[in-house]
Amino acid sequence: MALLNRSDWYDIARDTNWTPKYVTEDALFPPQMSDCFDIPREKWAGYDEPYKTTYREYVKVQREKDAGAYSVKAALARMKFFEGADPGWLSILKAHYGAIAVQEYAAGMAEARMARFGKASGMRNMATFGLLDETRHGQIQLYFPHEHVNKDRQFDWAHKAMHTNEWGAIAARHMFADMMNTRDAVSVAIMLTFAFETGFTNMQFLGLAADAAEAGDFTFANLISSIQTDEARHAQIGAPALKILIENGKQEEAQRKVDIAFWRSWRLFTVLTGPMMDYYTPLDKREKSFKEFMEEWIIGQFERNMLDLGLDKPWYWDIFLEELNDTHHGMHMGVWYWRPTVWWNPAAGASSAERDWLEEKYPGWNDTWGQCWDVIAANVAAGREDLLLPQTLPVICNMTNLPIVGRPGKRWKLRDYHLDYKGRRYHFGSEPDRWVFEQEPERYAGHTTLVDRFVAGLVQPPTIEGALQYMNLGQGEIGEDAHGYDWAFDYQNFRKQAV
Amino acid sequence: MSQSTEKLKPLKTWSYLSKNRRRPSEYEIVSAGLHFSTDNPACPWELDPGIFMNEWYRTHREGSPLKHDDWDGFRDPDELVYRTYNIMQDGQENYVDGLIKEFDGLDHDQGLAPEWVEVLAALYTPGRYVMHGLQMASAYLAQIAPASTITNCATFQGADSLRWLSHIAYRTKQLSQVWPDYGFVEGERRQWEEAAHWQGFRELMERVLISYDWGEAFVALNLVLKPAIDEAVLRQLARVARSHDDTMLAFLIDAQLIDSDRSRRWSGALVHYAQQNEANQDVLDEWVTRWVPLADRAIDGFCAALPNSLSAADDAKRDCWGFRAGLGLSA
Repeated sequence: MALLNRSDWYDIARDTNWTPKYVTEDALFPPQMSDCFDIPREKWAGYDEPYKTTYREYVKVQREKDAGAYSVKAALARMKFFEGADPGWLSILKAHYGAIAVQEYAAGMAEARMARFGKASGMRNMATFGLLDETRHGQIQLYFPHEHVNKDRQFDWAHKAMHTNEWGAIAARHMFADMMNTRDAVSVAIMLTFAFETGFTNMQFLGLAADAAEAGDFTFANLISSIQTDEARHAQIGAPALKILIENGKQEEAQRKVDIAFWRSWRLFTVLTGPMMDYYTPLDKREKSFKEFMEEWIIGQFERNMLDLGLDKPWYWDIFLEELNDTHHGMHMGVWYWRPTVWWNPAAGASSAERDWLEEKYPGWNDTWGQCWDVIAANVAAGREDLLLPQTLPVICNMTNLPIVGRPGKRWKLRDYHLDYKGRRYHFGSEPDRWVFEQEPERYAGHTTLVDRFVAGLVQPPTIEGALQYMNLGQGEIGEDAHGYDWAFDYQNFRKQAV
Repeated sequence: MSQSTEKLKPLKTWSYLSKNRRRPSEYEIVSAGLHFSTDNPACPWELDPGIFMNEWYRTHREGSPLKHDDWDGFRDPDELVYRTYNIMQDGQENYVDGLIKEFDGLDHDQGLAPEWVEVLAALYTPGRYVMHGLQMASAYLAQIAPASTITNCATFQGADSLRWLSHIAYRTKQLSQVWPDYGFVEGERRQWEEAAHWQGFRELMERVLISYDWGEAFVALNLVLKPAIDEAVLRQLARVARSHDDTMLAFLIDAQLIDSDRSRRWSGALVHYAQQNEANQDVLDEWVTRWVPLADRAIDGFCAALPNSLSAADDAKRDCWGFRAGLGLSA
């Protein structure tokens, strides 16, 4: 008898597949829950998760991580960061927690799908840890904002958002349902863990952590970078699954699913992460632009991951690269203008200094987005608040459930990509969004966007007030300009001086 | 924009919990009311209502005969959260580390009798399939339960199962090093798939795993299969281990039964919670009646292979019955 190393016994703990006798294989692993690619069961024996950990190691390491995150929070609670924080930064916290906490918990249900229906024992074990991880991410990202609920009603949305028909919540539910909660175990592995978690979570949890540290919010910086260490582990469930799919002739189908998940992730990040990084973060605290973070984490690292595995870049890669310059600026303007319909206070981020920064990071910004903000700033200066608030609803994409946006000003570019399917006309914000729909129309056709519901008479009264009620947004929760329009006066003064 | 409506004030906790009019615990703040997919029973997931997964949840969760107006009101009596789970189980693993180290120092495995080593190869190490089956079944319950407070209990139960699968794997390797000719490492699957004493549990496990109605999955797993494993595969095996000088196995199983006790506490609490709706009593009883004969057969088959254990099967069955009877269930 001797004490053992992990490698001495690890393989025994993942040698747990047996041949069912009393029930059929298909009953035990229904293809639509387990593996819609229909890879023969014995092929999954070759599945080898690159990041290995054991239960013993897991509970020890995770205990230490939590001790770190909670003790930083406790120590810094005395520093009253919240009271002195820039309103734009607080909006990041509100938007982040509302969009992320409960969805991470839901990601646990997708991990549970792999833990039960994955055909490889190693996948099931790793997903058991993944389920625990996502339980952590749900719980810790509820616990941290909860300390602010007594100061600001908008923090209630950390728990509430996903239970409402607020438009951003609908968009997040639609995207995550498509990518994780309604897919079979193997599709979850490649869509959620590979396409989303190896790339995009770096943006939200490391990129934003860098900004948070700059902004002096060490509690948040420490929290989300700690979360990313878990993501980095369970994200590796997907790559070995992809390898098996490719080895068994399923490259094309696998590529299609990665492409769907990547595009859907990108589009959600244009409304969530893009405005946070390029507009809400106080100017002197911005580590990089959204585009620069995307270039580092997605174009640099994720692209290489895909090619290493033998996949191609998605067919729409050029469209994606072009969108890096534009889409999130449009989303930001939409969110700011329709700010009563969100649970945070959007920071316009269009003071003269911020505009210089935007022009430097996105050459041509002044001639496009800047022209719109000129009009808004002039209306602020003229006291025309009636022109600063929405009177109608925007046109919404039937895939993203986000507004259809384009590029304004001198380089005008706006297009509605539509499709007629079974007698109904669907509108899309981009060609890849329409392409996603076309891959499996029956997944999406019967869904209605907020605007569809409005038109169908489900939102009563059919006014902005009725829409706010439908979205569960009351006074005290609805968004206002984060800085009380200070930025606009700053810009107007700057213009006057320049004249 | 109309400003006529009253401005909402900040609250002391989530608006979701503030109706309870008491200070919520950390447990409630981070555990209650997280499954937004139960908000719209006609379309659990925000896509076309007709897709396969919406139908699956409508059938197996919303359509379950086990009904309660407010599953989200269920609370885990242990109020475990992720943070406390790791603190607790890291401590428990420290204890197990200590056991393994101490018995290693005593050359424990070298001192086992060959007849007992045969018993271990037949009745103990194949248990990794049993523990893994529990892990899988718990993961299903986690994804299909109608309340996050139920899901979390199932999540931790699944992790506990992986914990014990891991210990069995560790011990399998250790035993194989001292006793290379007894089929350790390579022989467990054959035992699990072919040995008569496992077939009852194998059949029960396979059938529980395809029991997809969430309520029936809970009853079959937590009130029938798991108690049967606790009493036969764990407690009775531990009793025999003691009489064969395998104190180490007995200690390991005692430590595992701490996790099982926790599982029984929340299982009991969930049964009592379900019983608030009187119509559920018949539903629960009917499921128990349907599943118990399979479990009794599994216990009989396994215990018949335990050496010198004439009363083991009856003891195990009595203890399972006692657990369920204590919850007011028929069998």
